[in-house]
This record gives sequence, structure tokens and C-alpha cells, in this order.
Amino acid sequence: MVNVTITVNGQPVAADIDERTLLLEFIRDVAGLTGTHNGCLEARCGCCSVELDGAIVKSCNVLAVQAAGRSVTTIEGLSPQRLHPAEHITTGSLAGMYQPLDMLGADAADLHPVQAAFHKCHALQCGFCTPGMVMALKNYLAENPEPTRDDIRAAIAGNLCRCTGYQHIIDAGMEAAEQLRAQADA
Amino acid sequence: MKAFTYLTPGSAEEAVGLLGQHGPQAQVIAGGQSLLLAMKTRTARPSALVSLAGVDDLAGVRLAASGELVVGATTTYAALSRAPLTGWHTEIAAVAGNLADRPVRTMGTIGGALCDAGPRYDMLTLVTGTGARLEVLGPSGVRTLSPGEFFAPGGGTTLAADEILAAIRFPAADAFTRVVFAKFRQRTFDAALASVLCAARPGNGGVQITVGAVRPVPVVATAADPEAVAAEVLDAAGGPPLVQYQRELVRTLTAQTLSTVNGS
Ligand SMILES: Cc1cc2nc3c(=O)[nH]c(=O)nc-3n(C[C@H](O)[C@H](O)[C@H](O)COP(=O)(O)OP(=O)(O)OC[C@H]3O[C@@H](n4cnc5c(N)ncnc54)[C@H](O)[C@@H]3O)c2cc1C
Ligand code: FES
Ligand code: FES
Repeated sequence: MVNVTITVNGQPVAADIDERTLLLEFIRDVAGLTGTHNGCLEARCGCCSVELDGAIVKSCNVLAVQAAGRSVTTIEGLSPQRLHPAEHITTGSLAGMYQPLDMLGADAADLHPVQAAFHKCHALQCGFCTPGMVMALKNYLAENPEPTRDDIRAAIAGNLCRCTGYQHIIDAGMEAAEQLRAQADA
Repeated sequence: MKAFTYLTPGSAEEAVGLLGQHGPQAQVIAGGQSLLLAMKTRTARPSALVSLAGVDDLAGVRLAASGELVVGATTTYAALSRAPLTGWHTEIAAVAGNLADRPVRTMGTIGGALCDAGPRYDMLTLVTGTGARLEVLGPSGVRTLSPGEFFAPGGGTTLAADEILAAIRFPAADAFTRVVFAKFRQRTFDAALASVLCAARPGNGGVQITVGAVRPVPVVATAADPEAVAAEVLDAAGGPPLVQYQRELVRTLTAQTLSTVNGS
């Protein structure tokens, strides 16, 4: 066992963990944030993508001890939909936690531009890949604000989606880039 | 995964000391991108992991007084792809920025790829084809190896259990007028099925073709003609006989790199 502190979405999270704990497991089971998904556990699908000190990583292929003392941003860090960790996940608690936008008195304007673009462009179906896709694109667009469609394709080369056929995700990437540029100009 | 202790040395010498102290069951972890996959399937079962992440002088890129480009072993692909390089060295950054995917490039290091020595990894072809030298640190100091000495003929490396790769020394920017790397992969994030490096020496030095991914270690060709290169790779030792598609890939990629080198 080893004591590790990782700052997750701005909040320090400390715990005694087994050295084998993956960053993905730390985020889901210790910090209680289940937006980061486990799709393959072998660095292939990208569903577990998060930012580690601002750089994109696949959290299933990083040990929590490798992230000790560092900062992680997960999908929950992008918009104020779900800021409180789940103590115990049941259908009931999930229903309370994931309120539809209008019930929160919120609208697409409260979403991160990449999330809003996914909403607008219908870039998800089952949604399993979405947290990873959104994190990968958010991170990439900060590096390249004027991408081509091919740039977006390359940026999500490590993210698999079994539902959409990718075209709407690429649309969303282009839309988000435009919105982010508009925001930067304003 | 088997249980292990996680050790965080502050210097390269301390890392070597810890490897000696914990014996052959101890293993270095750089980015962990290959090692963790192996540990999850228990094909690697280290009892201790010695992390190089906290050893600052193993990371980074600098020009030596000799003009050689010294790349620290724990320099990540992401950092290497953004390094401000000139001359043929820009091809090193280009190769680093066009493999695996962005998240893997954040963590994965050039030294990790070379020590893992996956035959299909691009960096093997790059260091072999450019005649880079590999600085290895052990209990009795540094030894500098050629790629032929660093990679074991049948695959893997010749590193001892208590040695680490410290740096890669690429020849100076004026050692080649042009270096072109090309590879074929099925999907963008797949490792190469075949890769070819063509390095053009100044003056009448000619070109040097090196073929990777189809043999346990890259093959340095003596010929500079696509057909002859493919034949040489066919005859090279190690691994199963080349199949048709591999021969065609070697021929096609060789022709492609040659025409890029000659075309400009
Ligand atoms: C999804 C995915 C896609 C990939 N695609 C490609 C691709 O397209 N092309 C390509 O070339 N590669 C590809 N790779 C492989 C990638 O290059 C390697 O996984 C990575 O760079 C290894 O570096 P690392 O720092 O993560 O090494 P680690 O996983 O930390 O270490 C690998 C091995 O090397 C040893 N080691 C590491 N550093 C040192 C050192 N300095 N001294 C001594 N021993 C050391 C470790 O003990 C371990 O045995 C891919 C990997 C993944 C996961
Ligand atoms: S769960 Fe990490 S890449 Fe699939
Ligand atoms: S929306 Fe279902 S996997 Fe992408």
C-alpha cells in the first residue's frame, strides 16, 4: 500500500492504495467519478481519456502512483453537471445525479463548447465513448484551434466508437473549434 | 497484475543502484505504455518498478558541442515531436509525432520503445538507419553502443538487468542532407507492418536504406535499389520467411523514400 494524493478537477483526493491501482480505477473507485469509462483496459479504445497536467492520457494505461502529486481533469471537470462524487451508485442515485439540463435550470450554454457541439451535432448514440472523445478533442483543440477534418480524424485515432460511424463526431469537432475561436475573439 | 513495490529514484545513478539492489526481478518503468500492457497480462511480472519519471536529466533534447543531437531516454514522443530541430533532425520529430495516438505519445518515451525493442516500433528503424549511438549507464559507468550492439540479433536488447538506457546520440545535422522515413500500417494507431528509412549522405556519399518491422531487428541494406533491397531483406537472418505482401511493402516503401530523397 502507498499513500497517494491526486488533484482531481481541482480537489485533492488522498488515499492509501495498492500500487497496482490504475489511474482509471483511482478516478472511478476512489474519487467516485464514473464519467471516465473502462472500455478495454488495454490502451486501445480511448474511453478512459483524461488530462494529466494538461496532457491527454489513457487513464487505464497509467498507474495512479505515476500521477501522484499531479492534477487530473476528467469529463466531470468540464461543466457543472456533476460535481459531487457518488458515495454509492444505484439507479436511484444516478437519476438524482444526472439531471437533464433543463431540470438543472441549465442549457447548452453551460456546457463546455465541445460538449455543446456533441449535443448540437448528434455526435453520440449510446454515449459510452463520449467522455473520452470529448476529452481528446478538448485537449487537441487547445493545441490546434484551426483543424481540418483530417486533423480531427488523426486526433481521435486512439478513440473507438461503435455507434456513430464517426462522421458526426468529426462534425462536432469542427463545430467546437469554430465556437472556441469565436469565444477567443470575443 | 502481480504485486510490486514502486521506487522513485531522483537520479540515474540511484536508479541503477536500485536495480542492482532488487535483482533481476526489478524493472524500469518509463512511460509504462508497453510495460503496463505486459503486466496486465502477466507476461511481465516485476517485483519492483524503478520509475525514471523523477530523473530530470534523463529527459530532454540538446545539441552536443560535436553537433550530435542528444535525446534523453525518457523524452516523451510528445516532447520530441515539438522539439525545435533543424536539418534532417526534423525527421526525428516527424516520426515521433506520427505513431501510436496522442494519449500514448504523452506518456510513451523513445527509450522505452528502444528497450522494449518491439520489432515494429518506428524508433528502432530510425536509430539503426541513422547510425545513432546509445548511451547505456550501468554500475561501472557509461558505455556507448551502436544499434547493432544494443539490439540482440534475435530480438530484444543486450542490456544487463542493472543497466539503463540514458540517451540516444543522433549524428549531427550535417551528417545527412536528407532523411526520409516511410511506413505502412493498417490503421493509424497500429504499429508498422513495414518501415523504411532512406538517409542521404552529403557529397558522393550515396544513400543508406534501412528496413524495419519485418525482421526481429532492422536490416541495413547494402543496395539502394528497391528490388535489390527487398532481396537482401529476404535473405536476412531471423524470423519466419518473408511473405509476398511484406516483400511488396519493402519494395514500394523503398521506392517511395528514394524518390522523395532524390526529388528535392
Ligand atoms: C495503443 C498503442 C499504440 C502504439 N502504436 C505504436 C506505433 O504506431 N509505433 C510505434 O513505434 N510504437 C507504438 N506503440 C509502442 C510505443 O512506442 C511504446 O509502448 C512506448 O513508447 C514505450 O515507451 P514507455 O516509456 O511507455 O516504456 P515502458 O512501457 O515504461 O517500458 C518498456 C520496456 O522498456 C524498459 N525500459 C523503459 N525505459 C528504459 C530505460 N531508459 N532503460 C532501460 N530499460 C527501460 C522497461 O523496463 C520495459 O521493459 C504503441 C503503444 C500503444 C500502447
Ligand atoms: S479503457 Fe483505456 S483505452 Fe480502453
Ligand atoms: S456513441 Fe456508442 S460507442 Fe460511441
